[in-house]
Amino acid sequence: MSLAFTLRTPPTVPLEAEVLTPARLAGLSAPEAAKLSVVHGNERADLGEFFQVQGTADGGGAGEFRLTGDLSRVKHVGAGMADGRIVIHGSVGMHLGAEMTGGEIIVEGDAADWVGPEMTGGRIVIKGNAGHMVGAASRGSAVGVRGGEIVVFGNTGNEAGHGMRRGLVAIGGDAGDFAGVSMLAGTIVVLGSLGWRAGAGMRRGSIVTMHPVELLPTFSYACTYAPLYLRLLLARLRRLGLPVADAQVSGRYQRWSGDAVELNKGEVLILEA
Amino acid sequence: MGSSLRIVNGRVYDPANGVDGEVRDVCIRDGKIAADAPPDAKRIDAAGMVVMPGGVDIHCHIAGPKVNLARKVQPEDHRYDVHPRTRVTRSGTGGSVPSTFATGYRYAGLGYTTAMEAAVTPLGARHALEELHDTPVIDKGFYVLVGNNVLLYRLLQEGRLEEFRNALAWWIKVTKAYAPKLVNPGGDELWKGQRNANITSLDDKIGPFELTPRKVIAGFIEAATALGLPHPVHIHCNNLGHTGNVATTLETMRLAEGRRTHFAHVQFNSYGPAAGKSQTNPTSGAREIAEFVNTHPNISADVGAVMFGRSTIMTGDAPLAYMLRQFGGTKWVNADTENESGCGIVPFTYQDRVYTNAMQWAVGLELFLLSQDPWRMVFSTDHPNGGSFVTYPRLIRLLMDREFRKARMAEVNQKALDRSGLRDLSREYSLNEIAIVTRAGPARLLGLTRKGQLGVGADADVTIYEEDPDKEKMFSAPRYVIKDGELIIEDHEFRVDHEGRLLHVAPDFDPGIEQVIEPFFEDFYTIRFANYAVDDRYAPHHEIIPTAPQAAGARP
Amino acid sequence: MSENLKFVPHATCTFCGCVCDDMDLTVDMDEKRITKAENACVLGKAWFREHGIEQRPYALIGGREATTAEGVEEAAQILARARFPLIYGLSDTTCEAQRVAVAIADMIGGTVDTTTSVCHGPSGIAFETVGESTASLGEIKNRADMVVFWGGNPAEAHPRLFSRYAVTPKGMYIPNGRKDRTVVLVDVRRTMSTPVADIFLRVKPRSDFEVLWALRALVKGRRVDPSIERRTGVSLAVLEDLVARMKSCRYGAFLFGMGLTMTRGRHFNSGALLALTTDLNEFTHWVAKPVRGHGNVTGADNVVSWQTGFPFGVNFSRGYPRFNPGEFTTVDLLARGETDAILILASDPAANFPKAAIEHLKRIPVISLDPKTTLTSQLARVAFTTATYGINVGGTVYRMDDVAITLRPAFESPYPSDEEILSAIRDRVRALLGGNRVPAVAPAVAAAS
Ligand code: SF4
Ligand SMILES: [Zn+2]
Repeated sequence: MSLAFTLRTPPTVPLEAEVLTPARLAGLSAPEAAKLSVVHGNERADLGEFFQVQGTADGGGAGEFRLTGDLSRVKHVGAGMADGRIVIHGSVGMHLGAEMTGGEIIVEGDAADWVGPEMTGGRIVIKGNAGHMVGAASRGSAVGVRGGEIVVFGNTGNEAGHGMRRGLVAIGGDAGDFAGVSMLAGTIVVLGSLGWRAGAGMRRGSIVTMHPVELLPTFSYACTYAPLYLRLLLARLRRLGLPVADAQVSGRYQRWSGDAVELNKGEVLILEA
Repeated sequence: MGSSLRIVNGRVYDPANGVDGEVRDVCIRDGKIAADAPPDAKRIDAAGMVVMPGGVDIHCHIAGPKVNLARKVQPEDHRYDVHPRTRVTRSGTGGSVPSTFATGYRYAGLGYTTAMEAAVTPLGARHALEELHDTPVIDKGFYVLVGNNVLLYRLLQEGRLEEFRNALAWWIKVTKAYAPKLVNPGGDELWKGQRNANITSLDDKIGPFELTPRKVIAGFIEAATALGLPHPVHIHCNNLGHTGNVATTLETMRLAEGRRTHFAHVQFNSYGPAAGKSQTNPTSGAREIAEFVNTHPNISADVGAVMFGRSTIMTGDAPLAYMLRQFGGTKWVNADTENESGCGIVPFTYQDRVYTNAMQWAVGLELFLLSQDPWRMVFSTDHPNGGSFVTYPRLIRLLMDREFRKARMAEVNQKALDRSGLRDLSREYSLNEIAIVTRAGPARLLGLTRKGQLGVGADADVTIYEEDPDKEKMFSAPRYVIKDGELIIEDHEFRVDHEGRLLHVAPDFDPGIEQVIEPFFEDFYTIRFANYAVDDRYAPHHEIIPTAPQAAGARP
Repeated sequence: MSENLKFVPHATCTFCGCVCDDMDLTVDMDEKRITKAENACVLGKAWFREHGIEQRPYALIGGREATTAEGVEEAAQILARARFPLIYGLSDTTCEAQRVAVAIADMIGGTVDTTTSVCHGPSGIAFETVGESTASLGEIKNRADMVVFWGGNPAEAHPRLFSRYAVTPKGMYIPNGRKDRTVVLVDVRRTMSTPVADIFLRVKPRSDFEVLWALRALVKGRRVDPSIERRTGVSLAVLEDLVARMKSCRYGAFLFGMGLTMTRGRHFNSGALLALTTDLNEFTHWVAKPVRGHGNVTGADNVVSWQTGFPFGVNFSRGYPRFNPGEFTTVDLLARGETDAILILASDPAANFPKAAIEHLKRIPVISLDPKTTLTSQLARVAFTTATYGINVGGTVYRMDDVAITLRPAFESPYPSDEEILSAIRDRVRALLGGNRVPAVAPAVAAAS
């Protein structure tokens, strides 16, 4: 049986638990895992002070483990992970999977701000809603997601995919403002509606939406077509469980080019009603 | 401060006193080097180690308004280089522009005990002093930007040379500066007043003034010479960074006409004309510059070497930063200071495969290797412009270790290397020469008689390195660092915190000059004349280095 | 009025970010009142005139009168014990006090945040994204022949921005003052400031970003969709005319306020304006400057930056500074209930924070330092009475353009300064902790954000 952590004593102040990656837990018994260091506010603490730990870790870095409880004050879970799998039953705090390079994180709940910032590979799936800055660049940095994919079944806050250079951000619900702001390349799919000012300052890349939206005045209409890559992509999202309708897979999309303030080589695809 | 120390068995490099690697004791008493120490003095066994005076950085950018803008603009550069606190020292962040505490501790951690911030606007002096106060361990000072000062220009233009000299002295004194600094003389007026234009030659007219850079530079050299400052005019030449600027640099050096003048980060001013088909790729002008400096004992320079990797361009030369903006990415900062200066900041990365960057790297090394007088061609990277001061140990290794240098040369842009003279140079610096270019030389050029040397009466700023064939490793982490006689770093760890001194000058002037300056303030400044001078509270620990006339007057 | 008058020339007003240093004060030393403040604007006059020494206890602990020393002991105990302490405010005190405040946050492994996070924090984030071309106010006075005010009402909030720095003053290359300048005002409504403008652009609420973005495109010679007029209330023709003027002036300056930074779009609004400024420098000289409110909020930005590398919202719990607005900013920390103690320095969040944040303030120990009784001091566990900076306490403040100025206090207060109290707290905390608190966990690279 792989390791299972159940939150027994919810932290009163933020708990930083970047030890919660498959690689750090590899080969550990439950008591050993309980001895790992976390930062509770400004002091070191044992993981076991907060979590009940059961089972034994899978060998190697590619193991899997499970977290259960309201982890909304537990930050940096899966940060920097390279492979393996984390399943979270409950909500989770900020910086989930920050800078991860591979592996998979599944959240059967909501995630706070900064899901997968500057990740380069792997996959994060959020079954509930996610906060601001999904797959974004850290403050001051120009590049966000460099690879991998983030799938959010619910809604997201602002700045999803800020500065992304490769990879995929898929949002089943609505996106907040400035989705795909300053994006360099990559793809953002929003099945719900886009907030304001999507794609502001984008250089390349694609933003796809299923609802009518008024873009910035620096975007211009190019054509209407049914892009093949989108058909394949949407079919794949459907297999991941997102509610993609047939009409969306087979539909025709208006292609808008932008942002003219930058290279004007990006596109926003809007499903024709 | 009362503690005494005796360092025994170390190989001592003290070039100012002619000591070249002899094993001898160094004694410390009351913060100074002493002839002897009491029997109960703490002993440091430096067997297998090298003892040198603390390092002296003659040109870096570590405090003040522009530095703080450069810090603020790069959170992404701080994230991966944190500086955790210890029980006794404060925390901070690094990257190419570290926080003040990290700056002080990291300099000390390399064995440096003195550093000079090389460009502060007079109006920014109070700010710079506040930051320097929060820069621990090292002694420090700053050069004040006067080379684009509107009132000084007016006095010069009208030929009021005595008032010009008095006003210059006033500006240095009321800002608590160490030396006058000229940056791209004349450039700011064109930048701010003529749609971002710039000076291109020493004979360009400076906007509305009946002046040229030539006249301005000569005027400052003359005035500073008359004032007898411990460090002369410190010049960042026109056309810095431009292909073919070696001609301007030599012309500027000639303006000194035998008078002491210091040329900052000359690497950036040693580029020959464009090579081959390219309009912009420079050739190396290092040989011409090195020869001129070699044969003119009045001229001194710091190299301003370029080290590959992350840097930050931060300069009073605003047009230069604007030009570099196109290579720097998404951020550009410009900051104009009324009547005094411009300023530009661009985060930047030097890449070994890029022709120009490789040429800059080669030119820096050539200047070192062609210099025949290490006392006058001293060590700097113009931190953080050419690279961070934390790269100093690697630069030392490049100078001391020919094989290491060769290996590195193989990795850089070969076209650039072909057009530099670096392949022909096989010289290796000795430890004694390193001690000169990093300590004794800069101290002498600064007129800091008690720094950069270990003679009796010198400040007890001492660094002890463990000998290692890998010179980068050796100079990266001294085993002991002693500041003012206090053992700050022992076994590579900070034992205590320490506050260094502000070093500044206070040249005398005719107080009547204030009647000339004050009306100008009322018209053209937005701060009252009475609130401009910086008072002593901003320099709680300080030392005034006398000018030549003051030193002569003080003599019995 | 008594005969015991003292004249304090060249004093500085710290009421707003203009930080005018030409206040010539007359002080009635018997009454301990400033009777005259020459050169002050109406706001400054009121600030000086209304300042008196309130009779308050030196400290209150749980509402009970106490000495400063007792307050220091209680405050130090709270801070030394706390797991996620926060130090907030800082913008209405001296840099000397700010430096100690950051030192305490570092020592205890807390968080330090300033009122910047609720005013121009977005401009700080924008600055980190695109940089900024800026200038000291004297350059605007001496050189600016075109001035654009965006999202602010200086006539009522920063009166001398017009008269001393940016609209009417004569300068070196602006010999005729107002006549030599083109003044543009952009706002969502007419205000007391509107009459000053040659050109007034009334934009629809929350459409500043679109206007700025369109201006950027036009400056670069790119196409802008004519729908801009319907969406923003400003026609393409008006924008084109504005761009032509902006490109042809000699030295242009934007001065922007919270109408831009605190409306929907926030840091992207500031960022768009800063990027437009950069774009314009291809053609002529342009600078931009956020118009700051509190007297020394600019000092707070500077002090926090030089000590940590970041301007506000800085957390030290891992043993080194980390920056992340939204994560380590005060409103957010309080609203999420993550803070277990707070020291509030010269600010009154209980009066103006969102409800959820105030509710949490009521649940945790609060330490307040303020010359006056405030809503915050009333809910504080420990409330210190302090002397007022600029009037009773000397030190350093930074004008909105980063120019540092030394204060000239008018008369003494019986109360200690912020710096004195904070220094005593710092020394006591250090004794309690035996030095800086060092968390025994290595820095985590991915956790460094
Ligand atoms: S403008 Fe501001 S600082 Fe100046 S006098 Fe008025 S309130 Fe005071
Ligand atoms: Zn320099």
